[in-house]
Amino acid sequence: MNAIEIENLQKSFGTRRAVDGISLAVRQGEIFSLLGPNGAGKTTTLAMLSTLLRPDGGDARILGHSIKHESAAVKASLGVVPQDIALYMDLTARENLDFWGRMYGLRGGALRQRVDEVLEMIGLTERQKDPVGKYSGGMKRRVNIGAALLHKPKVIYMDEPTVGIDPQSRRSILDSVVALKEQGMTVLYTTHYMEEAQELSDHLAIMDSGRLIASGTQQELIQLVGGLDRIRLAINGDVERVLATWRTITGVKQATVEEGLLMLLVEDSNQALPRLFESAAAAGVRITSVEIQEPNLEAVFLHLTGRALRDG
Amino acid sequence: MARILAIAQKDLRQNLRDRKTFLFLLLMPAAFTLLFGFAFGKGSDGRLAVGYLDQDGGLFSPALKNLLQADLRLVEQPGQSQADLTQQVRDGKLAAAVIIPAGYSQQILADSPLKLQVIVDPASSASATLQAALLSDVGRLLMAVSAARAEGEVDAPAVESRLAAAQREAQAASQTASQADAAKPSPLQPSQTSPGMMAQFAIAGLLVASQLLVEERKTRAMQRLLTTPARRAEILLGHSLSIFVLILAQLLLLILFGQIVLKLDYLRLPWATLLLAVTTAACVAGLGLLVGALARTDEQAIIFSMICMFLFAGLGGAWVPLEVTGSAFQTLGHLTPVAWVIDGFKNIIARGLAFDSVLLPAGVLSAYAALFFALAVWKFRFE
Repeated sequence: MNAIEIENLQKSFGTRRAVDGISLAVRQGEIFSLLGPNGAGKTTTLAMLSTLLRPDGGDARILGHSIKHESAAVKASLGVVPQDIALYMDLTARENLDFWGRMYGLRGGALRQRVDEVLEMIGLTERQKDPVGKYSGGMKRRVNIGAALLHKPKVIYMDEPTVGIDPQSRRSILDSVVALKEQGMTVLYTTHYMEEAQELSDHLAIMDSGRLIASGTQQELIQLVGGLDRIRLAINGDVERVLATWRTITGVKQATVEEGLLMLLVEDSNQALPRLFESAAAAGVRITSVEIQEPNLEAVFLHLTGRALRDG
Repeated sequence: MARILAIAQKDLRQNLRDRKTFLFLLLMPAAFTLLFGFAFGKGSDGRLAVGYLDQDGGLFSPALKNLLQADLRLVEQPGQSQADLTQQVRDGKLAAAVIIPAGYSQQILADSPLKLQVIVDPASSASATLQAALLSDVGRLLMAVSAARAEGEVDAPAVESRLAAAQREAQAASQTASQADAAKPSPLQPSQTSPGMMAQFAIAGLLVASQLLVEERKTRAMQRLLTTPARRAEILLGHSLSIFVLILAQLLLLILFGQIVLKLDYLRLPWATLLLAVTTAACVAGLGLLVGALARTDEQAIIFSMICMFLFAGLGGAWVPLEVTGSAFQTLGHLTPVAWVIDGFKNIIARGLAFDSVLLPAGVLSAYAALFFALAVWKFRFE
């Protein structure tokens, strides 16, 4: 059964189409990632699915409730972890959780017990009486997540929850996302970090410029690039001239320049590399570094859009 | 309702952790009340300035003048005509005027007293004050004359002696601590500055309240609230309730400060005082929500709050009593809620008026509260 069903969802701001008719389904109990660069339309999609924004067209159903016509039922069944640390910095972690629990309708002993459980879950029981403003970035992120879990939602949205934190805190958050799935929650996770999407997702969709350009399991998406290898090279010489030459080499399917580096999608890196070195030598150019990557989501994005994910 | 209370409780908790709250809401108004009282206090008199013209010059007019002086600040107008006095009242130079007509004393002796001529602006609260004072004082004069006549000695000393005796009896009968204190002239004359500073610093409370709203919007906590089952109306009411409670608590503490430290008798009419405090707090809560709705940054919240405070306090008579200004300035001043707050409280502590004298100020403040709240709801941005 699907926890989330999106049908031709659209949203424009002025003349800019932020979300351009996306449709997808998220199964109950899975982690579904929306992957895309900044400005792809991920946050706008989540804002519509949270009933914060009204779609210009289309609809979505969360556990069977329409976001357009049953917003109260949608809100009651959701937990939303926003991209920003949307907490009260001068209140303690316990006071914050207590407040957000009351917003979700929890009261009295049940609220106190649930706050205790969530503090334990996010590992802040010892620091519960400290103002959130005095926490590290990672601790704030954990409270930010905890505030969305108090009412035990069946569906949780997490909008880039690891932005701007240290690797250790990121690891802790990724582990907690997996733990939520194990508790039976459906997680809709947005990120522009390919590694996170690869690690967490049962299914994922790639967004770019408001459109859904691909969706499926990780393996299904990688099939889209037809098993092409990705080679990243640095040279000392005229990049544009070399690029034009290399595009004609047998086995090179795509060649672009990103941040001064040459990015190539090739059928077989073992066969392609000697030809590339040979061509460079003939042109009087020296290759100073080479990096080979097996097919991954980054390559899929590059293949589909002609740009790297981090280009935005 | 539970969510409204939760939001209000959360806001209050945040406000009480902010040191600015105590500075702006309690320490500064108390200090400024004393400061302004000291600066303007000596020689000032919160009672109504009433023109007094004695066309009688008879046996009893001095006694009547003494009686009136206990309640009103009489400004003698020798040689003026009724038309002159009417013009002065119309210009706002006098709150009202009373004329003792020629033959007044003679007619009392003839047991057929004449009516005093009274000139008032019907829209002014001075009308009720003057009527009450005249009714009471003329009644006391006639009773004294009647008592003197019964003893067969109807002359001025006899009447004044009976009036003095009646005064002593009245004081003995109602010798309460507060009346005794009120009889002592206060060197600071805070009956003007206390309500003025209360009104001014109630508006200063917007500073902390509106910054809270801006901060909530800035951190996106307000947007997050909208992803919960809390409705927009609950969020607005919760924030308004917190400002209302904060300002009401501030006013009640400053009223206690006025009552205990400054010896102002706010508790002479406790329900009237409470009504004014509640409507003032409601008005400021509406204004606070409006400032929070309009301000996009902390700096704007501070600037908008300061503009409201200085504009309303300056025009509304918090710094200089409106009674000493011209009619145009008085009219302008009464476009601000501060003038009505001051009017209402002065009716209680300085003018000695009855409960119904605060109904008009309370009504105007309620109307301002509704107006500010409606504008805030209209302009409120959750994102």
